[in-house]
This record gives sequence, structure tokens and C-alpha cells, in this order.
Amino acid sequence: MPESLLAPGAVLALWTLIMLGWVAATRFGAMAKAGIDLKAAPPGGRGVDLESVLPPLTNWKSHNYTHLLEQPTLFYAVTLFLHLSGGSTDLTRGLAWTYVVLRIVHSLWQATVNRIPIRFAIFALATFCLFALSVLAVIATLG
Amino acid sequence: MENNAILGPVATLALWSMIMWVWMYATRIPAMQRAKIDAAKMVGGTGKGLDDVLPPEVQWKAHNYNHLMEQPTVFYAVALALAIGGMGGGLNAQIAWAYVALRIVHSLIQVTVNRVMWRFGVFALASLALFALCLHAFMGFVVH
Repeated sequence: MPESLLAPGAVLALWTLIMLGWVAATRFGAMAKAGIDLKAAPPGGRGVDLESVLPPLTNWKSHNYTHLLEQPTLFYAVTLFLHLSGGSTDLTRGLAWTYVVLRIVHSLWQATVNRIPIRFAIFALATFCLFALSVLAVIATLG
Repeated sequence: MENNAILGPVATLALWSMIMWVWMYATRIPAMQRAKIDAAKMVGGTGKGLDDVLPPEVQWKAHNYNHLMEQPTVFYAVALALAIGGMGGGLNAQIAWAYVALRIVHSLIQVTVNRVMWRFGVFALASLALFALCLHAFMGFVVH
């Protein structure tokens, strides 16, 4: 396992852009099928406007990309706090890697099968890791 | 110091986000007054609700401000990690400047003409720059 507590964050950042690639790879085909010509799109159109136009399976990739720009931003901040305040331990590194692995599984699930109870369970487990990291970050930074 | 060169573009994009915040309210508040919306009596609304009532050009500022709170958060995390890991100078700093310059152009397009193809082209280029930074962070922290 890489020694730095910043390694899992680097993996998650890279994964986020891989998901963006997946969005692009599926969205353009779906837009072509739906008869949408991007060149003729009215000014100001956004990804959310495709919600009612493209098939759910296509939009799920984009839902997950957006999801990756929500809670993980806390993860980046918390792991940076821990790294900078001597909070990099086997425990925090283990929690951080678990968080990232769970978020990648969460992405794969949301982008394909997307059954809610399973997605929720993965999300809850990941959140539990982040919660623990946040508590440890408060201890490390105040201590 | 050289390894911290990447913090220049980080600070620039953060400041630019605050400028967009000002631009958003500088156009939104007069537009709300023109639309006879009395914010003093509002309970529980969100900015999204204004998409239905304010002119698109006004909401485009808000769309872009929100956009700046999305992908750039990954940029901040990766740039800080690169700086801490001693990889925030040279090529990485230049790529970061390219990302920030592209994001500023992206903002200016989205809040003015907002042609989807132009915006997409600039966003795609910026994403490639960020991808390069992520790849460098991955190689530095994980593969190394």
C-alpha cells in the first residue's frame, strides 16, 4: 500500500475524470439517437436539460459524476487536514482507502444496475468511513 | 517555493469564483426587483427556483457559479496534493494555469453568448488538463 495518505485522494480524483469520460462516451451516442444536434442547441443548454430526453441508463453516469463532486470534496479536505497535522496513521490510511474503494463500487453500481437499496448501503458505508476520518481530523488538528 | 508554484493558479481560480459570485448577485438582485419578487417574504426557496422566473442571461451567471463549485473542487484537491508532495512546480504548474485560464474563458462564454458547442469545447480542454494533473498525482502518490 502506498505510504501517503494523499494517495487514495489522487485515485478518487482520477476516477472522477474517468467517470466524466464515461459520461461523454455514452451521452453523445444517446444524443445522436434522440436526434439532438449540439451545434443547433439553443444558447444556455445544460446537462440537466437532458434529464427528460435521454434514457435513464445514460443519465445515471452523469448522476454519478455529479455525486462525485459532492461528498468527496469533504474527503479531500479532511485527508489534507490529516496529512498536514500528523494524522496519517494505519487507521486513517485504511479508512481513506476503504472510502475510495467504496466510492468506485458506488459509481459502478449507480452507472449500471442502480438498485437503490444496494446503492444506499454502499453510500452509507462510505459515509461511515468519512465520518470516522472527520472525527480523527478534528482530534489531529486540535490536538 | 518552486514546488508551490501551483498555488498561484489555485488562488486565482478561487478569486475568480468569488468574482462570479459578485457578478451573480449584481445581476440577480436587480432582476428580482424587476420581476417584483420580494425576498423579505420568501421562505425556503433555492436559487434553482429562479430559473422559472428570471431571464436566462441572469440565471447563466448562477449556472456558472454552481459549475465552479463542481469540477474545480477536484482541481483544488489535486493541486494541493501535488504541492504537498513536492510536485507543484514546472509542468504541473503550467498545466494548472492552463486549467484556470480555460475555466475563466468557460465562465465568460457561459455568462454571455452561452453557445453550447463553444462551452463544451472549452470544458473538454479544461477537463483534459485536469486529467493530466490527476494522472501525475496518481503516478506520484500511488505508482511511485
